Amino acid sequence: MKAEHHPSRFSLSKALFNLLDPIPFGFFVGVLIFDVIYAETANVLWMKSAAWLVTFGLLFAIIPQLINLAVVWFSKRRIRSRGQVINFWLNVVGIVAALVNAFVHSRDAYAVIPDAVWLSILTVALMGIGRIISAGEVVTYKESIHGQA
Amino acid sequence: MDKHKQRWARALGMAAGLTLVLSACSEKAKVDPATQIGANPTLPGAKDFLVPPMQVPKGVGWAANAMPKVAPGLQIEKIASGLLHPRQLLVLPNQDVLVVEANGPGEEAVSTPKQVIAGIVKGQSGKGGKGGNRITLLRKKAGAAGEWEQFVFIDKLHSPFGIELVGDTLYVANTGNIMKYRYTPGATRMSDPGVELGDLPSTVNHHWTKALLASPDGKKLYVGSGSNSNITENGMDVEYRRAAVLEVDAATGASRVFASGIRNPTGLQWEPQSGKLWAIANERDEIGADLVPDYLTSVQEKGFYGWPYSYFGQNVDHRVKPQRPDLVAKAIKPDYALGSHVAALGLLFYSGNNLPAQYKGGAFVSEHGSWDRSPLSGYQIVYVPFANGMPSGAAQPVVTGFHSADEKHLYGAPVGLAQDAEGGLLFADDVGNVIWRVTSVKR
Repeated sequence: MKAEHHPSRFSLSKALFNLLDPIPFGFFVGVLIFDVIYAETANVLWMKSAAWLVTFGLLFAIIPQLINLAVVWFSKRRIRSRGQVINFWLNVVGIVAALVNAFVHSRDAYAVIPDAVWLSILTVALMGIGRIISAGEVVTYKESIHGQA
Repeated sequence: MDKHKQRWARALGMAAGLTLVLSACSEKAKVDPATQIGANPTLPGAKDFLVPPMQVPKGVGWAANAMPKVAPGLQIEKIASGLLHPRQLLVLPNQDVLVVEANGPGEEAVSTPKQVIAGIVKGQSGKGGKGGNRITLLRKKAGAAGEWEQFVFIDKLHSPFGIELVGDTLYVANTGNIMKYRYTPGATRMSDPGVELGDLPSTVNHHWTKALLASPDGKKLYVGSGSNSNITENGMDVEYRRAAVLEVDAATGASRVFASGIRNPTGLQWEPQSGKLWAIANERDEIGADLVPDYLTSVQEKGFYGWPYSYFGQNVDHRVKPQRPDLVAKAIKPDYALGSHVAALGLLFYSGNNLPAQYKGGAFVSEHGSWDRSPLSGYQIVYVPFANGMPSGAAQPVVTGFHSADEKHLYGAPVGLAQDAEGGLLFADDVGNVIWRVTSVKR
């Protein structure tokens, strides 16, 4: 595999992506934790907090996922790997699940359980797997540069 | 490139599909409203939604000479306009009319993203209009037709709602206390600064109205204290002395819970034949366009009416945690369902002689209308016939025409009811900001 662009060149979209992309994942992990605690305790504090987390998580997901979309589907300069495509779709499905979850969190009191817990697990699992797969991709990229040197 | 387009189209298709799924989650009412009126309403199964049933007409007020429609044999006139969210009415012994102008104190903290959206949606209807926090006195101009004179009677109140006159003592129920004033007959401005008789539950104020009724001997006051949530989503600790009718001692201000489990009791009235306390209540939202019917009921001392654990007797609400089967078992089934989401906010047992005989002895109920049903329900005043102290037939519409035929525009919404000395039916309209008077057609 050959890297076509200069590795040291600063890319605004890549910087923005690296900066913003971890935020929604962190928020969604928070949602999962809070949902599980609410399911166990029925203390509304946790459910209300989870509702904010899922909302802000979705807002933070917009920009990095637009960048992801552009990079995966519209960039001519990079070779699209199978891992990137899988990661993209895992993110899409994970975020759609989070969006549905935001609506589930608009229900009152214990009506959010158990749907919220299942959707949170789904989002975190999909996005988590996506991140693990892309970690694999980075290693491949580095190895190819080593190979050339 | 074709492959690109294909994938792009697939992504778009997915987004469109999702929108479809979400919009399909809301639903239209399916149950015939007539089957949800009376002692044994049809109750479909409860559902949870992603987006609850919702329909909010845009509040536009009344055009110059537009008026609500009245049943045959009746006529309607406007006796006051330009008020600030008029809610309740009290006819004084000299036939002056006090109008309580108020809306919620707006103190409920925004603690969920949903409240941000709901505030915007409900604000569309004109029901979010700013309240005057005052009481205006209306006096009929001697020998003149048209609107009555207006005087600001008491101002700088804090979301007042209930009002009662016992002898020369005027009680006003603000959202957080009962104030006591000495009333001077004929006055157009309250000169007494007033004293606080006692405090009322006023944290959160999700439901802020405090309906007020004095016992016939004037020694006790009954207060409707609405729940602090739709269905406990703000936690049970803020529901202390909420969803209850409180009994307040008029001499000392000491109070106790008289009856409980009534989600939002208003329109407290004495049923004239039995002498029993009656109330109307707004039931819970967001488990269906056809759930749960609002109701009219007698209120028994120490009675428990279900909220939050169950509705209409033993129908358990799964949204409450922990559940309380012990309380569900003793929940009293309300006497008379008025229909789902009609949002009854005014009750009057009619005892006058002006209106046609068919309106005697029963109750007028004003239905303010709700956001949580499509198509709309309520937005009318109905008459419920009574016999031997109990409802004896189907509710019949008496005043209608509060929204446009296409349900897009809202002209007005009825709230407080009162009866004047001539037997006319007065009602407050807090979207049109008008007081209307309904009488028999003159022959």
